Amino acid sequence: MTVEILFGEVCNLFGDAQNAVYLRQTLPDAEFIETPLTDEPWFAENRPDMIYIGAMTENTQRKVIKKLLPLKDRLQALIDDGVVLLATGNAGEVFMKHISYVTENLETDGLGLLDLKVTTDLFSRFNGKVLGRFEDIPIVGFQSQFSRVEGVKAENAFVKVERGVGADRKSKLEGVRVKNFFCTSLLGPILPDNPLFTEYLLRLMGCDRPAAFRKEAMDAYEQRLKEFRDPSTVF
Amino acid sequence: MDKLLFYVAMAAGKLSALALRLLGRNATYMPGVIALKICKNFIKYLQKPSCLICVTGTNGKTTTSNFITSVLTAAGHSVTNNSFGSNVQGGVAAALLLNSTFGGKHKNEYAVIEVDERSSLLVYPFMAPDYIICNNIMRDSMKRNAHTEFISYVISSAVPASTKLVLNADDIICAALAPQCEHRTYFGVDAERPAATEGMKARDIVYCPKCGARLEAEYLRYNHIGRWRCTACDYGNPARDFTVTQIDRERMTFTVEHNGEALVYKLINDNIVNVFNLCGAIALLTELGFTYEQVSGAFRNAEIVQTRFEKSSAGDLNVTRLLAKGQNPVAVSRAFSYLSKCPEKNKCVLLLIDDKEDNINNSETSCWLYDLDYTPLRDPEIACLIFAGKRGKDHILRAAMSGVDTGKILITDRAKDSSLLVDTDKYKDIYILYDNYFLDEAIREEKLLLERGAKAQ
Repeated sequence: MTVEILFGEVCNLFGDAQNAVYLRQTLPDAEFIETPLTDEPWFAENRPDMIYIGAMTENTQRKVIKKLLPLKDRLQALIDDGVVLLATGNAGEVFMKHISYVTENLETDGLGLLDLKVTTDLFSRFNGKVLGRFEDIPIVGFQSQFSRVEGVKAENAFVKVERGVGADRKSKLEGVRVKNFFCTSLLGPILPDNPLFTEYLLRLMGCDRPAAFRKEAMDAYEQRLKEFRDPSTVF
Repeated sequence: MDKLLFYVAMAAGKLSALALRLLGRNATYMPGVIALKICKNFIKYLQKPSCLICVTGTNGKTTTSNFITSVLTAAGHSVTNNSFGSNVQGGVAAALLLNSTFGGKHKNEYAVIEVDERSSLLVYPFMAPDYIICNNIMRDSMKRNAHTEFISYVISSAVPASTKLVLNADDIICAALAPQCEHRTYFGVDAERPAATEGMKARDIVYCPKCGARLEAEYLRYNHIGRWRCTACDYGNPARDFTVTQIDRERMTFTVEHNGEALVYKLINDNIVNVFNLCGAIALLTELGFTYEQVSGAFRNAEIVQTRFEKSSAGDLNVTRLLAKGQNPVAVSRAFSYLSKCPEKNKCVLLLIDDKEDNINNSETSCWLYDLDYTPLRDPEIACLIFAGKRGKDHILRAAMSGVDTGKILITDRAKDSSLLVDTDKYKDIYILYDNYFLDEAIREEKLLLERGAKAQ
């Protein structure tokens, strides 16, 4: 099994880097390829089982788009072929159609693999929590973003939000799922925070095994679920 | 009209301060907020002191600000300082307001004002500081500060070109702040260079901001603090004007070299972050024209404020209380690293580092815990870890992921009485790490431990 961590040296804000660590601990026999921004992604010539990319600065977002643009068709082919692709925080925005950076007065086309538009305002930071459901798995997570993503439709939303809001800051739809491509504004340690979702991703890759430190992860997950479900918890 | 509003704001601010004091409340924030509500240009109309110094950066603002203030005070100057109050716009306005006459004339010669990085745009353009000292730009609260590029952008956009900067040369992000300012003084630490950078990864700067090529670290102390050079162009850390060339931990002194002269100062605290803070303060004070005798004399009597670092003993128990700013992964990582380097054997650590507010009718974000380096807690001489707060189970998972023996971890969801979990028969060297908002609880638990120590005598 091969997992490619894209641009981990720069796409690592808000604890996202530990998703890759957790995957390594969960899949000790898998091959992990860490591709820096200066190198050609491994997926350009090969088929990984999973690609992960984490949150980044706005400046890095523009560099990542530039880097991936020539590989847009290859990425689409891999998504069509069922490769697991997980993008957390603002990483998913790279795959969207267009990003308006209003503070810097910049307009940038993204890869256009998702028909969604993003507006990023450095003077409008949104912090939130999400309690929702993906299929039968309860999902918990955190948001902290300058951006607002418009256009997510119910039929391909990743998480149906029960408490909190989606990346547009108002709807009950969070993120996008297209085949095995999961794009979510939830950031940070989404995998260790959601061991059941981690195990779901493993099954998509044909691997039926428990997430690393399952007991500790489940204890923390259940505690968070309890807090998120508590009516007195402010969202 | 605006000027008229200023006088109304001044009167309202001063009256509110009086009322707050009569109620026994702190008047370090609200008077400023009220004044700014009435007159949004309030800070602009205040007359500045003869010398206005602002202290900013992710970590070390209060410590640095206290050092500078203590030297100025010892030299017989009157100083306005907000270290015990708020450092956001309202707090800055309050500090200046409370030290001004009704007409807006500043009463003191100097003002040493801590400024929260995010408040830069609301403060600097209105008050044009004479000096800004910045110790570092690091990862901080995700919710407020986002990332270092954002904070650098905010500070750089706000600082007037006329301001003189005193910057940490060993922080390549900090050193590049506000390029419009020509007068720049750099400080840093050359002593105790780490032998290698292996295993250490910087995450907030990797590529050259000038040409985009990869930066190469000559050495790193922690995070991106160290010396870098670009692999393709001439970009790198600037040369230092003030350099710590030697740290003598036995004599508790350190040597600062400037213009070819090496001068020895008292080392108030041997944590490397405080060596940077002290060197920055020395650089600024020297720039202001203070003599070695004035600075070193004041340092001899200075201590880290007891709300930040306190060592006490009773019987055979030694209790050290150490501030570790919550939701700030670098500050807490430094505290963990410091703990692991403390020479005592069989240490027990009580941690009150969860966010107080974010766990009341809320559930604190776990994100910062995943930027926090738990690996120093693997130290076998740290024999017991007690996490007191709602996030205990998250800490256990993070510790497990970092290779820490989870068998030595105890958790309790309450800060109150958490020290009862300390087995004082077994552990004689106890550390209490606490977030700012847990100061009262930390003092209480410290007191309880010391009482147990005294009783057992």
